[in-house]
Amino acid sequence: MSKLTWRNSIIAGVAVTAFTLGSLSANAAGRLKAPIPDWTGGAVTCKVVQMILENELGYKVKAITMPSGAGVYEGVAAGDMNYACESWPSYSSAKDKMITKFGGDGSVAYMGSVGIVGVSSYYVPRYFVDEVAPDLKSYKELNKYKKHFATIETNGKGRLIGCPTPAWECDDQKRLDLLGVDFIASELGTETAAWAEAQAAYDRKEPFLLYAWEPHWIHAKLDLVSIELPAHNADTWPATGWAEDIPFNYGDPVSMAMDGPNADAAHLLSNMKLTNAEQAKMVLAIDVDGREIDDVVGEWLDANESTWRKWMK
Amino acid sequence: MITTLDTFRNRISSKNLLIYALTIAGLIASIMLARSVDEPSALPLWISEPFQFAEWINGAEDWLKENFRWFTRMIASGIEEVLYMVEDFLILSPWLFVLMLLVLPALAFGGLGLALFTFAGGLFWGGVGMWEPTMQTLALMGMAVILSIVFGVLLGVLSSQNDRFESILKPILDTMQTMPAFVYLLPAVFFFGIGGPPAIMATMIYALPPVIRLTSLGIRQISHETIEAGESFGASRLQMLFKIKIPLSLPSIMMGINQTIMMALGLVVLATFIGAEGLGSEVWKAIYKLRVGWSLEGGLCIVFMAIIFDRLSLAIGHGAKNAHSGSGIRFYLFPQSWDIKPWAVGIEYIIGFIWNAIGGFMNMISLFIASAIDQTIGRLHRSFAAAVSRFIRHHLFFVGSLLVLTAIIVVDNWGPGIGEFPEAWAFSFREPVDQAVKWLTVNPAFIAFTKGTRAVVYLYMLHPLDVFLTQLPWYITITVLGFISLISVGRNFAIVCVALLMFIGACDLWAEAMLTLSSVLVSVFVCLIIGLPTGILAAQSPRFDAFLRPIMDAMQTLPSFVYLIPVLMFFGGNVVSAVIATVVYALPPIIRLTTLGISQIPITYTEVSSSFGGNMLQTLIKVKIPMALPSIMLGINQSVMMALAMQVVTPLIGGGGLGREVFNALNTSNTGAGLASGIGIVLLAIILDRLSQAWTQTQRDALGV
Repeated sequence: MSKLTWRNSIIAGVAVTAFTLGSLSANAAGRLKAPIPDWTGGAVTCKVVQMILENELGYKVKAITMPSGAGVYEGVAAGDMNYACESWPSYSSAKDKMITKFGGDGSVAYMGSVGIVGVSSYYVPRYFVDEVAPDLKSYKELNKYKKHFATIETNGKGRLIGCPTPAWECDDQKRLDLLGVDFIASELGTETAAWAEAQAAYDRKEPFLLYAWEPHWIHAKLDLVSIELPAHNADTWPATGWAEDIPFNYGDPVSMAMDGPNADAAHLLSNMKLTNAEQAKMVLAIDVDGREIDDVVGEWLDANESTWRKWMK
Repeated sequence: MITTLDTFRNRISSKNLLIYALTIAGLIASIMLARSVDEPSALPLWISEPFQFAEWINGAEDWLKENFRWFTRMIASGIEEVLYMVEDFLILSPWLFVLMLLVLPALAFGGLGLALFTFAGGLFWGGVGMWEPTMQTLALMGMAVILSIVFGVLLGVLSSQNDRFESILKPILDTMQTMPAFVYLLPAVFFFGIGGPPAIMATMIYALPPVIRLTSLGIRQISHETIEAGESFGASRLQMLFKIKIPLSLPSIMMGINQTIMMALGLVVLATFIGAEGLGSEVWKAIYKLRVGWSLEGGLCIVFMAIIFDRLSLAIGHGAKNAHSGSGIRFYLFPQSWDIKPWAVGIEYIIGFIWNAIGGFMNMISLFIASAIDQTIGRLHRSFAAAVSRFIRHHLFFVGSLLVLTAIIVVDNWGPGIGEFPEAWAFSFREPVDQAVKWLTVNPAFIAFTKGTRAVVYLYMLHPLDVFLTQLPWYITITVLGFISLISVGRNFAIVCVALLMFIGACDLWAEAMLTLSSVLVSVFVCLIIGLPTGILAAQSPRFDAFLRPIMDAMQTLPSFVYLIPVLMFFGGNVVSAVIATVVYALPPIIRLTTLGISQIPITYTEVSSSFGGNMLQTLIKVKIPMALPSIMLGINQSVMMALAMQVVTPLIGGGGLGREVFNALNTSNTGAGLASGIGIVLLAIILDRLSQAWTQTQRDALGV
């Protein structure tokens, strides 16, 4: 009996205190919710948007840490998040289901490109080219060095750390087969796994062939050389390299409509444009110099006021 | 039918030799058959094509989205309100106040040892700079657990009263526990939003079953005599339930709550996939940047939380320890073997003395308050004052706790202030851990070892078994598994087993399911190779056992995400890494239950063996291991279940099979495809679980235990 009373009293006490404290934090107006992308480039883009929204337009942005992927699209489609920045078309198959521009049902609205131009390719570490394979320039020379890339699982063929999931529609294995490259593409499931394996192999100075793209923070950490692939051609795909990737911002079609309640925020998201060089510089400062993202983006905003003022019309 | 089966069983034992010969011949023939084809087996198209399970599910999901979303959203907004209040309360309160809310119950129920451990946990949370995420996780898990307890006890009581209800509930609970959470994470976003509410709902789906089961079990286990006694006193049905049955089954309910808490904490990292903030998102951010040390700090915060709540809920289940009475029992901080060291005894005495002094002081203050109330209010309203002072005298610890909490608030508000966790107490081991991982990654000897392991596991275990299981025609696999079910469990289960396997095949997931099976079997085999000797060693040496226990606690509660990246860096991204990660996760039960099984053998058996001149090794192999076999089998059963659960996590580092299908479905937000593969995993779990339970039972019967 004594036990029960004791516990009940504590629980009651907690509840009462919680309610009083909770009622103090009232909901402020002009609140937006957005995910923080988990790759540094996207985080930089989103931070630029967020700082302008908060410092210039008077919004309060609740940034949610969440792995990128279909979950973010579901959240925006359901109206739980207002916008998301820098979605890469190649890696978001959910866009085909939800964005009208890509043949979807319009449950998510396309807001405008970010300005970044992405290029995908296969990469090898520079030390391998320098020390072992000075003539390795394009896919044609890969077979010559395939034994360097072989592992016990590949049965004498080379190994490509390919796109981690079929959702990215890279068709790595088909490309290799069509181009006559005697390699096996392995899908590691997540992007992180691919970077982790590349990082470990790099530390050990082992050769590896990796699917990656630019701009990307991995290039800030590893010195990689791009392998030349045939130029992109939609008719012979996937026997070619990739088309350019134009990442974009998207949002909830209701709360982020251009003439809706948050019109100024919607205009910012559709007008903003960062160049590859601008973003790469900030990524480098964060990932290599280990600086705080708030400081880096803040400095860029201070130095480039004329640039971002134009986005706000 | 039963008689034919029995004669069949008898024939097996009488004609062992023939059976062995036939089995081996069959095995060789199957291997030849599997080798002769070079593509994975699949059910014919005329079965799998019309069976568009994924499409049907997606249709149903769309319908639910259109018609039920308003309802789920209503629930979600209610949950969200309360969650934010609790979260704000935990984050905005002075850290010492919140920590005391945990330490004081730990003291009351678990004694000084648990209280010190809880306090150390709090210092760790703050010290590594994760106080706020810890509070967010605490709020989230607290809500999920409380809701689970409310619904779980309710459903448990209902199912204890109604056999039909229980028989309907049972398979649902099995499914809830084994269905990979990735399957329902995305639909949860649509129905319940982003962040807390869907995370709470997803956690409840996974963590609810143990409370229901153990509440029902506890109520059903109450002896007939007790119930008859109640009836003879004329208790009504409801009186029986609330005055006799539920109070008597409280220990069992507490056990269920304990398991629910542990399972809920297992989902902390997954919850970040739908935007729930807290320790999980710390771990994820760190993993994404390949920062092993950072993710380990976050992971250990979860380990501390899990161990604190595990011990605390067990202690509450066992009843209060009267630790507050200051009865002068000697306090033990160190292992008993250190008792010879004077400094260890000294430290223990000092802690014990301070503790008793504090206890005595608190008692005095409480008594002082009680008598003060007696003297003052007693003059105005005698009976009320008497009641209050009696309450205080009987609840000295409670009053003492209130005093401590009040003192903290007073100091915080009018004194120097407590506020946030002091920065001076911060510490971090991110850098050394990252350095260590990097050192191992490039260490030639270690990498030679990992490459050797990888080659052995791949070339001699995983690859041959993969080829065998995927390329063996499906009808042979189904026939063999059906036959095994028939002789080891029974006819009904054999029919169910065949139907379940046909379902997997009809969903066009046959090869994937076989890959998953192969990965699970190899993982459990490796677990056995490592776990059996370790368990035996721990049973022989209490010191080794004591050393192993905290490590295994941490292995079981550390989020598997934390060691995925190091495993990948050491072993490369491939199916072997998936096996290694699975082994790390699924190893503890085998070690624990081997140790338990061997140490439970009555000493007479081993004495008989040695009196017949058996040496230590003979005693071990001929007596101890056979006697411990039922327990070891139980360990294997648990390892198999955990290995299966891990199959949805290993695709993150290159694992294949059904888990990868689930993960790909998550990436494309295809609920139907995810559910089909998820059901595949559930079905494998059911089949493997029943089979290994049946074998355990056979061992038990053979030993007459």
